[in-house]
Amino acid sequence: MATPHVRTDSRSRERGSAPALVLHVLLLLVVLAQVVYLASRHRARVDLTSDGLWSTTSSTRDLLARLDKRLVVEAYFSPKEKLPVAVRETRAWADSFLDELVQLGKGNVVVQRFDPNADKAVKDKATRVGVKPLELRSQSSTSLSVDVHWQGLRFVYGGDKNKVVPQFAPGSSFLAEAVITPAIKEVITSQKRRIGYMEWPATNPQGAQAGPLGWNVLRTLDGIAKRYEFQNLKDEDGALLPDDLQTLFLFRPKDLTDRQKYVLDQFVVKGGTLVAFVDAAEYMVGPQRTMTRAPLALDAAGSSQKLTDQLLHYGIDWKPRLVADLSRDAFQPRDPVQGRFEYFAVPQLTPFGQQLSPIEYPYFFHPVAIDWKDAANDLAKDARGQVDKDLAEQYRKLFVPGMPSDEFVFQAWKQQKRGPGFYWPTWVGVRTKAGGAPDLPPDVAGRVLLWSSPLALVEDPPQSLNPIGFGDGQQRLDAYQKFAGKLRERLAAEPRQQAPLMAEVRGRFVSFFAGRERPKRPSEIKEAEAKKAEEEAKQAEAAAKQKDGEQTPPADKRAEDDAAAVATEAPAAERGDRPGRIVVVGDADFLRDDIVRGDHAQAGGPVSGRSAAPFFAQMLDWLAEDKDLVALQSKVATDRSLKLLEETRDPNADPRLHEQALRRKTTWLRALNVVLPGALLAALGLCVYFVRRAQKRTFLSSIG
Amino acid sequence: MRETLVVFRRELRSFFLSPIAYVFGILLVSVLLYYVSEGALQNGARASAEGLFATLPLMLVLFLPGLTMRMWAEERKLGTLELLMTFPVRIGQLVFGKFLACVVYLACVLALTLGLPLTLGAYGKLDWSPVLGSYLASLLFASSFVAVGMFWSSTTRDQMVAMLLSLVSLFVLYQLGNPQNVEYASDWMPAWLVDLVSGLSPHKYFVSIARGVLDSRDIVYFACFCGFFLYANALVLESRRQRG
Repeated sequence: MATPHVRTDSRSRERGSAPALVLHVLLLLVVLAQVVYLASRHRARVDLTSDGLWSTTSSTRDLLARLDKRLVVEAYFSPKEKLPVAVRETRAWADSFLDELVQLGKGNVVVQRFDPNADKAVKDKATRVGVKPLELRSQSSTSLSVDVHWQGLRFVYGGDKNKVVPQFAPGSSFLAEAVITPAIKEVITSQKRRIGYMEWPATNPQGAQAGPLGWNVLRTLDGIAKRYEFQNLKDEDGALLPDDLQTLFLFRPKDLTDRQKYVLDQFVVKGGTLVAFVDAAEYMVGPQRTMTRAPLALDAAGSSQKLTDQLLHYGIDWKPRLVADLSRDAFQPRDPVQGRFEYFAVPQLTPFGQQLSPIEYPYFFHPVAIDWKDAANDLAKDARGQVDKDLAEQYRKLFVPGMPSDEFVFQAWKQQKRGPGFYWPTWVGVRTKAGGAPDLPPDVAGRVLLWSSPLALVEDPPQSLNPIGFGDGQQRLDAYQKFAGKLRERLAAEPRQQAPLMAEVRGRFVSFFAGRERPKRPSEIKEAEAKKAEEEAKQAEAAAKQKDGEQTPPADKRAEDDAAAVATEAPAAERGDRPGRIVVVGDADFLRDDIVRGDHAQAGGPVSGRSAAPFFAQMLDWLAEDKDLVALQSKVATDRSLKLLEETRDPNADPRLHEQALRRKTTWLRALNVVLPGALLAALGLCVYFVRRAQKRTFLSSIG
Repeated sequence: MRETLVVFRRELRSFFLSPIAYVFGILLVSVLLYYVSEGALQNGARASAEGLFATLPLMLVLFLPGLTMRMWAEERKLGTLELLMTFPVRIGQLVFGKFLACVVYLACVLALTLGLPLTLGAYGKLDWSPVLGSYLASLLFASSFVAVGMFWSSTTRDQMVAMLLSLVSLFVLYQLGNPQNVEYASDWMPAWLVDLVSGLSPHKYFVSIARGVLDSRDIVYFACFCGFFLYANALVLESRRQRG
């Protein structure tokens, strides 16, 4: 029998004694600590998320690549070790992102760090430039104190332009980038882009003293106001717009005179970009949410040309009618908890007491980024649930995606599968022939950018759209059921149709006023009237003098005077040299101050701030063709919500059956997931047990 | 290498022949999935396996000592350790072979949880790359705890003692990376010490990979952590052999 061979080497002999063992362990620790340290200095990382949530976007990289001067980042940071742990995490993100900026900047980005707590002069400077301290509570069993920490940034570009981020505490690299990249963009932008606007404020239901409701909040948002300069160009005298103005916004145009229409006409004919947020009616929200229609006339008294006709002339078909969308996808808040005031919530009795809960109000909805052709079968079902194949085929030909455009203004929205929320929107499409084919003027191209679902109802604006009335709980419920029932009845009776909600036309427009008399400015009219009166007076005086034997002044002198008055304005352009652009959005309410600010949140909405501000900002960049921040704006997580059961779009389906089916499926899936893996392993174990038992028996029987 | 593979095969076979491995596997997977599936499988919830990987570390802390306690202690109790020492393999190879077998066994157990991500993927747009990254992180995390458990198992012949020592040390290591504990410690410990101590916890590095970023720093940390405890394990066995 061979002696077992045991390998012993010199190293094992050395490790024999206790001190040697300890030394070994200590040396190993030192080596490993070095390895970990070196690894932290020379790191490589791969972002595994398909949305690139942990990577810098091309927006940041492109902006930094464009730097032609030095960008100094003054970081007013308290020492990290003195920060509370919660803030220390944000410092880690901030430091990591600043390091990345320096690397990407390739010498053009310099980060200078200052500790305002250590030096009074630095502290004074930080306060002076606008950095704000973080006042954090520190609590122990014996004391409570407020500690002042600093974590703000100041960007200085080329020595003169600067931008301050007063407090910078990002919770992730994405949030760090969302703050820093627009700040860099702002500081390196040489000049603001000028945008003109005209607004027709809405009636404030809180009374005249509270002031009219306009569209100021979004225009004055920091990120927008620093890059775009808005100028109010609503001139009562109807002066033509400046030639260097490229973009004009109209917020809920109404009471337009022919002269104002002429000003807009000349603007687009000469190559300007006109963006109009239009409403078919004005409904008052207010604390009681009366939803009563306020008077709104598109054309001023005495106006001979209709605004809708003018837009139709350019290729925009605006029907001043209301659109309601009865698709659940369209009017459901995306986030039932966070976004419950986005549309319409009312007090309801819940297990936790009376709370505001969202209800279905199809006049508030958003366009959904799905291809409605896919829903043709669901929508072609009859009351028994049978699919009408011919009708389904017809729907497949007719229906279009809710967000058909791939323009960058819609990228982020398409990823979220829904556009901004609209409130009492109106029909805005492109001019079509009888068969539905586009019927645009020569040299003009147009398209619809947003569509409702095919479960849309279109109607003339009713006087009241309050779904719940003003009674007690039961009366409100009855009123709501009546309101919802009427809408469903109408839906069952009317054919399926998609309503266009936003449209664009581009091209060389022919003037709407070509061949018509140029509308005069109010001042011109007054002047002409004054002149006429003066002339009449002169004539009367001359006649009186003629009687007395004096001579009248020559007639050509009077003609010269008239010509001088008319020559103050450029002649009307009938067709422009440059292509113009008209974008019309079928809602102005979603951008209005009270709805953006969330004035109605306490009453249960609507509140549009979460979608209106990003949409407006992205629209400005889109109109300006400024793609710098596109990648950053599009950096939103893909919608990954679980759909355990296909949502039926059949308007006749019973929602209770759907809920029961959903509950059954969820229970079944949970049971399967919990039981199956354990059962598989148990089955394997039993197989092994029986095989081994059989082997054992065979062996025992073989030996007798 | 050949010797390591021989040890690895022997150990892996013993795992699949031992009832304790099945009991461990069934309990771990069932308890984990029971707790996780309720939150994860909800209509309208985000298709994400984050819940699974948020719960897994604590489950490993609770269950792994039951698996690793027998690695050396049982060999000593049955007297097979001496026999093992007589084989023509280095102690390092023995330790690494056993470690590898345990990790592969754990990988098989972890693979049994794949049903949940597959279900999520079937009913929603699951982002698979971070899920696979999280599985890698879980395996690295489990490996580091196996190394710790094996080390304690090598120090005693009593499996219960080995289990208790592992349980306590793994729980402490896990809690060191818990942000609430770190915040509490920062009230009375110097900041550099808080950073150092929290930096020791594998939990911190697990979270870093599980969020969807594969960072070389985290991989190096796990390699060093496992390497240190496996080396300590080998040293203990070596000194025992020399003492006879």
